Amino acid sequence: MMDLLTALAISALFGVGVFQMLRRNLIRSAIGLAILSNAINLFLLAAGAYRGEVAAYANLAGQRSDALPQALVLTAIVISMGGFALILAMLYVLSVRYKTSDSDEVKGLRH
Amino acid sequence: MERNTLALLPVLIPLAAVPVAVLLRRNPRVQAAWSFGAMLSAFITSAIVLQQVWQSGKPLVVQLGGWAAPFGITFVADLLSAMMVLMSQLVLSMGFLYALGARDQCVQYPMFFPLFLMLATGLSGAMMTGDVFNLFVFAELLVFAGAALTAISDDRFGTEAAYKYFYISLLASFALLLAVGGLYVSYGTLNLADLAQRIAADPSPPLVLPAMALMAVFFMVKGAVMPFHFWQPDFHTAAPTPVHAVLSSVVVKLGIYGFLRMTTLLFPAQAELLRPLLILAGVIGAWFGGLGAAGTYDAKRMLAYSTLGQLGFILVAIGWGTPLALIAALVYAFNHSLLKAAMLMLAGSVASRAPVKTAAFEAITGLGKVTPAAGVLFLLGGMGLAGVPPLNGFISKLLIFQSGAAIGDYAPLAAIGLAGIVTLVYVVRAFQRIWWSPMPEGVKPKPYGDRLVAPAILIALSVALGIWPEPLLQLSNDVVDWMRTPDQYVRAVLGG
Repeated sequence: MMDLLTALAISALFGVGVFQMLRRNLIRSAIGLAILSNAINLFLLAAGAYRGEVAAYANLAGQRSDALPQALVLTAIVISMGGFALILAMLYVLSVRYKTSDSDEVKGLRH
Repeated sequence: MERNTLALLPVLIPLAAVPVAVLLRRNPRVQAAWSFGAMLSAFITSAIVLQQVWQSGKPLVVQLGGWAAPFGITFVADLLSAMMVLMSQLVLSMGFLYALGARDQCVQYPMFFPLFLMLATGLSGAMMTGDVFNLFVFAELLVFAGAALTAISDDRFGTEAAYKYFYISLLASFALLLAVGGLYVSYGTLNLADLAQRIAADPSPPLVLPAMALMAVFFMVKGAVMPFHFWQPDFHTAAPTPVHAVLSSVVVKLGIYGFLRMTTLLFPAQAELLRPLLILAGVIGAWFGGLGAAGTYDAKRMLAYSTLGQLGFILVAIGWGTPLALIAALVYAFNHSLLKAAMLMLAGSVASRAPVKTAAFEAITGLGKVTPAAGVLFLLGGMGLAGVPPLNGFISKLLIFQSGAAIGDYAPLAAIGLAGIVTLVYVVRAFQRIWWSPMPEGVKPKPYGDRLVAPAILIALSVALGIWPEPLLQLSNDVVDWMRTPDQYVRAVLGG
């Protein structure tokens, strides 16, 4: 049951992220990217859930989550935070220059 | 110091130099000298690494923190990594040298040199790491530095181009993260050597092929391969010249490196699925890049498109995948890096003479009259790019045609052969526009432009490699020998 719920939540986040990414509004598409990155972080986390071994020093019985994907996700979160900050900074420069957030209006590179 | 630790230095030196360079931002001269020193020492250590690996015939393997291979973070300098890193560091150092003599505004920016060093760290780290997740981390470092360097460009559209690139690259990194997740679920490891062993032993888990596809998407975006190329001309044209020279020559080679690793180490058994795709993408890329370059209006943009075309040749060779074709791909990649970086620097130095800095043909027509030396170098480089002897480009094209004829795959061979002629067309056209046409009335070129030391060194190297190619051929031959025995890599990393 929990597996199914997790899978559904991740797929819902994926859907929302991709949908937002394809919007014409630049800010929405940047937010879509952030949602997508969260979906992928959850996917990575799920990759290690429910099937790991107990750590050698923990004297517990039964199954535990694998700890490695959690470390990976931590790194990925930090990197995507930095990436999102850089995206927003560049978006700010663009919105000041073009006075719009419509991606069709931002066409300085189109010749 | 233990011998293996050497392999860390080409990554560690630029990384450690970044914070110091940031602290030195109030003294631009000291900062430039420090950063250039770091860049040069990284280049020298990468040469030492290559020499060590080549002579001993064993990869240098560093297990960070002393944790044994599948558990810790591994750095591996096998011959392929060492060669690619040497090539990258050589062009990066020359790009740095060019930046020191460039008259761009953005070179004065206090964070320019630290960002450049970060670019060097990301690129050499991504090529040396023995772990898929670290590949993601270093690729992100590379993307951050590249996007920031372009966003501060003198070009008005720098930020826009950087945004486009950064967005696409983040998506590519997501693809790689999904591949990481898929591989981890299937095999419980992310170490390249361990993965290679396990995939060879049991290719049945359902997520292996999707992971391979996602990884291929990642490397296609990194290498600006055909369906994922659309950011490349805009982004590269808007980048400052020294950065453009690096991005368009060695940074795109990360994709080439990735495909070499995927087809020979990670997924050798599944590579048959990837190969036709690479050949198709390569042929389309060679034509698209060639025609795009012939039809464009701007010298830097022409060379950016030309990169797409030249990468197409390398991809076709990787797609053929015979030992001879792989040798051709390596030689081609090395020669293209030298030539393309030099050509871009020359185009940039002519653009820096224009009254308003631009590389548009209508603005730089006839401007070559003030820099005849650049003209000679540009002609030599262009001949190399088009594959005219005695330059090194001739040898790389010759090897590609030989390897294609050897396996009798004539259709792609004919297609890229014709695309190669287009190279000659656009190079000669650019030369004719810039150096042979008379200068229009009333145009006053600037008395000084960017210095020509770096492109002169690169062209001299290209000529030397054209006349005496044996060392490069021997090296590529040995690299291919290594690639054909992935067991050697696996054993060196995992021990036993």
